[in-house]
Amino acid sequence: MTVVEAIGLYKSFGPVEAVRGVSFSVPRGEIFGLLGPNGAGKTTTIRMITGLLRPDRGRAFIMGIDVHRDPVRARSHIGVVPEVSNPYVDLSVWDNLLLIGKLYCIPKETIIERGKFLLEELGLYDRRSSKAKTLSKGMRRRLLLAMALISDPEILFLDEPTSGLDVFSARRIRSMITELRRNGKTIVLTTHNIDEAGMLCDRVAIINKGKIIAEGTPDDLRIRYGKYIEIKVSFDNSIDSSVLNEFRDHYNVTCDERWVTIICEKNELDEVLDKIMNIKHRLGLRIKDLHIESQSFEDIFVRIVRGE
Amino acid sequence: MVAGISDYLKKIWALSIKDMRLYYFKGPTIVMGIIMPMFLWLAFMIGSSPSMGSAVAMLLSISSFFAASSITPVILPWETRQKTLEMILARPITIELILLGTCLASMLYGVFVSLVIIVIGIFLGVCPANIPVLIVSILLSSICYSFMGLLFSAIPSDVPADAVLLSSVIRMPLIFISGVFVPINRLPAFIRPLSYISPLTYYADVINKLYIGNSAFNMGIDFSVLLLLTIILGIFTIETNRRTIIKRL
Repeated sequence: MTVVEAIGLYKSFGPVEAVRGVSFSVPRGEIFGLLGPNGAGKTTTIRMITGLLRPDRGRAFIMGIDVHRDPVRARSHIGVVPEVSNPYVDLSVWDNLLLIGKLYCIPKETIIERGKFLLEELGLYDRRSSKAKTLSKGMRRRLLLAMALISDPEILFLDEPTSGLDVFSARRIRSMITELRRNGKTIVLTTHNIDEAGMLCDRVAIINKGKIIAEGTPDDLRIRYGKYIEIKVSFDNSIDSSVLNEFRDHYNVTCDERWVTIICEKNELDEVLDKIMNIKHRLGLRIKDLHIESQSFEDIFVRIVRGE
Repeated sequence: MVAGISDYLKKIWALSIKDMRLYYFKGPTIVMGIIMPMFLWLAFMIGSSPSMGSAVAMLLSISSFFAASSITPVILPWETRQKTLEMILARPITIELILLGTCLASMLYGVFVSLVIIVIGIFLGVCPANIPVLIVSILLSSICYSFMGLLFSAIPSDVPADAVLLSSVIRMPLIFISGVFVPINRLPAFIRPLSYISPLTYYADVINKLYIGNSAFNMGIDFSVLLLLTIILGIFTIETNRRTIIKRL
């Protein structure tokens, strides 16, 4: 069952076309990632889907509810952590949770029970009486996540959930996201952290200049766009770079004091390894180290965004 | 339907409590809502010798006005700056509910400050002629003033001082043309049309009637015009803020 649907969303700010016909749908229980460089239109898209911005054209649905016809009912099914946002810094951690719970008209006992559970899960229970201004950035982000989850929403929108956080806070949030998916939540997240998307998302859409330019599972995209591999070889003696001329006509080759790096297509691996062995025997060298790596998801993302 | 209305009222109350806790003790609220009217009143009192009834009526008129219109201009700029606005807007509430919550907090501040002055007056032996009428006038005028204050926050700025400055530029002259210190019939003729569109004129007139027995208009006119101005300001304020609030994101 589709729980989030964007159909042909357009949004301009003056002469700038921020979003140009974005469409996608997210089935229940999926983690869907909207990836893109800064200014690609991710946040504007999320704002339109959550009813904060009215699209110039197109429609958005949450659980089949037209977000712009009935934003209150649509938003009652979602939790949102906007990219640039804060809890109320002069309220305590607990009072921030209470406030949000009341805005969803949740009974106080439920807020207390759920709030306690969430704060414990997110490592904030000991700080529940502290004012939010005394929390670190990572803790504030976790508090925002707890605030988004206090209504036990079916769908969670996370705009750059780990942006600017240290490794430990980022890991904690990622593990919470994985846990939420396990509990059947649908999660829509935006990120420019490609590895994070590759790690967390069941499906991703890559957005650039306001348009979705690729969509699929991270593995799909790796197969579709990741046709190159990188071979790094280190010999026991340095070699004259002219020796590598036979590679240069066909492959992308770089060389430094330690490594010779050759980028070729996957189906050329055997041929390139033969040539490396040929050089080794011809010059009487020994191979000290050899790495063969598929392109990272980040490399694939860069290639897609550049339109290569 | 009833459940829907009850939910909306609960949300307005929750937002209002939040505003009270966060903004009643902020600098601009205290300075513009309590200290400023107090000094204005003192400045007028020194050198003149009005009756105790006139003194309390003047203080009550300007204090209600300043208090109820002091919080609303700063909340939206403050929340924009603190980056809490988008977080709160993403909840199942409408912009109108946020604005009404803000107005309720502001109105209650005005009512509270007014009640303190009424009680002090009673201790000094100055009692209003009709307490229920006084309470109704304070409630109605406080709603009107809080809408007026909210209108100043329609500029999509994240600098609270911008809204405070604008509100001061508009509110200060109103004190002098609304019959608080100088009766309207003694104002220059070219200023009087402005007096007639100031909500403070009608509130001050009711207060004067209740404390010193003088009034420029019939009380029915005072309440009718005050109600009309409240409705007009309410609609205009909500519509203006609804258009500009998105620019704050």
